[in-house]
Order: sequence, then C-alpha cells, then structure tokens
Amino acid sequence: MKKMAVIVSLSLTAAVLAGCSEQQAGGGSDTAAADGACDPSKVRLVGQVRNESNPYEASWLTGGDTFAKSVGLTQERLTYGGDSTKQQEQISQILAGDTKCLVMNVLPNGDSDTAPIVKGADQAGAFLVTQWNKPADLKPADYKTWLSHITYNGEESGQQIGDALAEKIGSGGIIALQGVLDTAAAKDRFKGLQASLAKNPDMKLLDQQAANFSRAEALTVTKTLLAKHGDKVKGIWAANDDMALGALEALQQAGKTGKVAVAGIDAVPDAVAAIQKGDMTATVSSDGAWQGGIGLAIGFCYATGKLKVADTPADDRAFFAKQFLITKDNAAEFAQPKTDPADFECGNVFNRKVGPLT
Amino acid sequence: MTVTTEVAPAPRRSSRRGASFRDAGPPVALIVIFGVFAALSPQFRSFGNVQNIVDSAAVLAVVTCGITFVLMMGSIDLSAAGVMGASALTVSLLVANNRNGNDFGFFGILAAVLLGCAFGCLSGLALVLLKVPSFMATLGVSAVGLGVATLMFAGVQPNISDAALKGWAVERFLGFSYLTWIAVACILLGWLIQRYTRLGRYAYAIGGAEEVLTLSGVQVRPYKVAVFALAGAFYGLGGVMVTSQLGAGLVQAGNGYDFSAITAAVVGGTLLTGGRGGVLHSAVGVLLVMVLTNGLVQVGVSPYWQGGVEGVIVVAAVAAAVIPQRRRNQVVK
Repeated sequence: MKKMAVIVSLSLTAAVLAGCSEQQAGGGSDTAAADGACDPSKVRLVGQVRNESNPYEASWLTGGDTFAKSVGLTQERLTYGGDSTKQQEQISQILAGDTKCLVMNVLPNGDSDTAPIVKGADQAGAFLVTQWNKPADLKPADYKTWLSHITYNGEESGQQIGDALAEKIGSGGIIALQGVLDTAAAKDRFKGLQASLAKNPDMKLLDQQAANFSRAEALTVTKTLLAKHGDKVKGIWAANDDMALGALEALQQAGKTGKVAVAGIDAVPDAVAAIQKGDMTATVSSDGAWQGGIGLAIGFCYATGKLKVADTPADDRAFFAKQFLITKDNAAEFAQPKTDPADFECGNVFNRKVGPLT
Repeated sequence: MTVTTEVAPAPRRSSRRGASFRDAGPPVALIVIFGVFAALSPQFRSFGNVQNIVDSAAVLAVVTCGITFVLMMGSIDLSAAGVMGASALTVSLLVANNRNGNDFGFFGILAAVLLGCAFGCLSGLALVLLKVPSFMATLGVSAVGLGVATLMFAGVQPNISDAALKGWAVERFLGFSYLTWIAVACILLGWLIQRYTRLGRYAYAIGGAEEVLTLSGVQVRPYKVAVFALAGAFYGLGGVMVTSQLGAGLVQAGNGYDFSAITAAVVGGTLLTGGRGGVLHSAVGVLLVMVLTNGLVQVGVSPYWQGGVEGVIVVAAVAAAVIPQRRRNQVVK
C-alpha cells in the first residue's frame, strides 16, 4: 500500500509540474516568435518523417542531423510510422512543451494532415516548414510562422524518366507500374509519363498496373505482365524506385536482366547502385538529405532573425524544388546522400526553387 | 495415457460423405475461375503464366499454412507482418550481405525461422498466461516484430549476396522455382502434422470443442502455445522467402500477408470459428486468390477496378463455399 501511495503522489507531482511548464512555455512563445530574435543556441530543431525504415526518409533525418550539427545543435528525430493520428499526437506533444524558438521540418502523412499541424504551430508560434503534402487551398502566405511549403513537380519527374526510357529503347513497348492510385504523387507522375508518351510516339504503353509503391507487389505484377506481353516489353516505367527494384528482381527471375530498361523515381541508394551497374536506366532525386536539412535551415534563419517573414516574397512560401535526373553519367555523384553546407546558408535557402506552387 | 492418445473427433465430422460434399466448394470455385480466365485470355492459359501463378503463390502458401493451424484452433493471428519483417531483416543480416561481414548461410536461415518461432511462442504465452485475446496478443507481437525489424534496418537496406538464398527465387527444378518446392514441402509437412500428430489433432479439437477436451483431462494450454510457435516458424520461413525474392531485407516484407493469408484460408474453407478446414483447404484458397489477382491483370481489367472486382469475387467465392455449412458458420452473426 505504501508503495502505491508513493507512486501515485509521484505521478501526481509529475503531472502538476508538466502542467506548469506547459503554461510557462505557452506564455513566452509569442514574443520570441514575433521578433524572431532567438539566441542560435536556444533554437530547438525537430524533424518528423513517417519512419526510418526506408532509405529515403532515413537520409532525410540524416540531412537534418548534419544541418543541426553545423549550427551546434541536435535535431529531435520523430517518426510516426505512417499513422496520421500518431503524427498529430507527436505534434501536440511537441507544441505542448517549450515552443519558444521551436523549428519543425515536417513531412505530413497526407494532404488532410497538414491543416491541423499548421493550426497548432501557428497558435504556439512555432516555426514550421512542411514538405510534399498540403491541400491546394491552404497557403503558407496566410500564416505568420508557417514559413514555407516545399514540394516537387511529379509531372516533371514522371516525364523525365519516361524520356530517359524512350532514349534508351528507341522504339517498342513499355509497361507502367503505378503507385497508390489515389495519391497526388501517383497521379502526377503518371500524367508525366503520358506527356512523355505523346512526345515519343515510337514508345508504346502496353499495360499499366498499380503496384502501390511496394517492392513486393511490383515483383508480382511485373512477373504477371512479363508473362502477358513477353518479349514485347522493352522498358518498365515505375512511379518509384522501390517498384523499379521489384521489377528488376522480376526480370532477374525471368532471366531478362539488362535486356529491359527500368526507370524509377526517388533515387534510393539501391536504385542509384543499380544505375551505376547498368541494370537500371534512370531515376529522379528530390535529394532527401537536402530536404531534411533545408526545412530546419529555413526555420533556423527566421528564428534567429536573419530572414524576416515580412520581407519574403510569396513565391518562396510555397514552391517546387529542383529535382535531379540520375543516369549512368552522374550516378556516382549521388551514390552517397550528402549535403552541401552552402545550401543551408540563409541567403541560399530558396536557391533550389524552380517555380511557384500553383 | 490411453485417454490422451484418442482424441474424440469433432461431432460435426460424423458424416464422412457430408464432409466431402462441403469440402468440394473451393476446389470447384478454383476450377471455374481458372476456366473462365483461360477462356478469356490465351496468355493466361500459357504454361509460362501457370508457372508464374504457382511461383507467386509460394510465400502466401507458407504463411497461410501457418495461420491455418491457428484458425483451426478458433484463434486468430495477425502477427505475420511483424514476424516476417523481423525474420527478413534477421536473415538478410546473417547471410552474406552488404551491411556486415556475416556469412552464416544456412544457419542464418535457421536463425530467422527460429526467431519467428520465438515470436509465435510469445503470442501463445500472452494468450494462455496473460489471457490476452489472440487478436490483441498477435497484433502486439506484430508491432514488436516491426519494431525489432526497424532497429535492425538502421537506415540502410541490407542487400543479400548469398548465392544459395538468392537462388531460391531464381533457380528452377522441373520448371518451378525452388521457392515453390519449399512451399510444397511446407504444405506436405503441415498436412502430416495436422493429420498424424497430436498437435494437429488437438488443434482441430480445441477449435471444435475446447471444453470437451479440457473435461477429458487434456492440458490444452501447452498445445495452444505450440500451435502459435509452429505458425510463427512458418511466418519466419515466409520472411526468408520474401527476402530471397526481393534480394533485400525489407521491414515491410510481410506487409499485407496477415490479411491475405486469413483471406486465403477462409476462401479455402477454413472456418474462423475453428474446428474445420486444414492445410490442404488453405492451399486451394491460396491458389484461388493468386489465380484471381493474376487473371484480372491478364484479361486486362483496369487497375482502377481491380481492387473492387477482386473483393466482390472473393466474397462471392466464400459465400458459395460456405452455403452448405451456413448453419455452422457462427461468424455470420
């Protein structure tokens, strides 16, 4: 019984203490955010992605760590396992703590998850950069501390790898492996392929199937499509690299490695290695390590007052960032994800903007 | 001792002829669906494609084999995804790979299967000792498995270079990949366990009438744990097989296999309430599901329609298969 009582009183004390610090933090945050003059050593950096179990998001967090280290801080790494509810919980927990000089670089799970994150950060006065997903009508320019939203033009990347395939095979049939059909990334990338098909009339789309961005599903689907179309398949267009790698395994099992061109998007390390080896034709990199660093860098620049929201043009608040087509010629440069410290200097943080997000 | 060796057959199996009539549903559905696709698409009926269907079914067959024992017992098992992820990472880090200098070959595979077995044991213990319902216990174990896998993954995907393990997916014997033969061996092993060992007979009996079994003095709990451990070992092997197919250890190796396996088992005629079905039923169920996914692609159903069409056909197939035993199917409450 005594033990029980001790535990109960301890946890009560803890709860009370936690409540107090919350209140204090809430009170102090507004002023700091408004004048944006945080001491650089007091800035708190948070990077949040779905999980660390894929190389892309792992490199994202590594990029964040690299930036944090360059300014003498550490990044708090959060992962929510692709679970929207868990993401919101983590965000509320972070925002319930000390939000003074808080900088968050967030990958929202889906479009609809962005709004509550933005609202929470805005109320707490935390600096926020989001990437990839947001609803079209939600605009950073309408908020004070939602600094920027960075995304990539999927149509452009879909077309780039389509063109790379066309160049490689000249003429003939290809099959397309689509992502999760109701995601913007899958739709845009496939639109890009259609644009590429229109531009390269000698390349024909034999079949398209959804393999849900999954390596295992792509393996099965590709095997089925190879059985269906046989030697007519000269190329495989995949909406991401995981599926491209699954397709490569299917080709290997069918004894066709190297005879069919394969292209994907995302530039995961294995895909880049396959391009170096010549098994794969092309991929497109959004540069995950840069993404992980840039969100924190932008937030850091505003938090320390080196950049001011009032002086930032609307184009910088939501933009398409530059992506890189990787082929055998330049694969070696991308073999190790690395960041260039110069990219993260306050004068350069918007240098990779290729166009405003419309 | 004489009491324990003679397991009273579940009362519903009293009529042999009735049982075989009820069991005929899924195989007939398989033949009909195969026939329809074969008539619609010449590529579908090519030998290459049949080979492809059977090869693709290998992993699901092994996982379903494991889950069947749990379902026969009237429990449910959702741990396949996590266990497979953990075993995939384990095997890919123990055989020759690009992450470390390990090269344990066969022992790496054995370790992964044993790990799966241990996870299954954990589910079983949580069920019998802590009285956690199997649904929750296995869901928790799945999460633990995924967590362990993520820790082992550590940001860099391990690609395997072990020639023997890679060969499982690529090398062929009598036209079918080694994976297929492994699956066949598993089904055979599963059938032998189900038919001729006390473990298999008790699994049936627990699902059919656990109280009768307890009243006749049988210690049920060790058998429950053993069934989960056996299922876990099958998932572990499934994870190894996915690794061989994909050439890399993926945390998501088992993604979706939990529900596909339950679907396949139920389509094959194993009841979720336990006491009926078996490994051979499940094998038919697996083939049915694979023929369906393959056939829809072969006849050119648009990917936007496939998910829905597949769902409708699965429900229809199950409905057709269970009509003769509807009275018995207590899940239809």
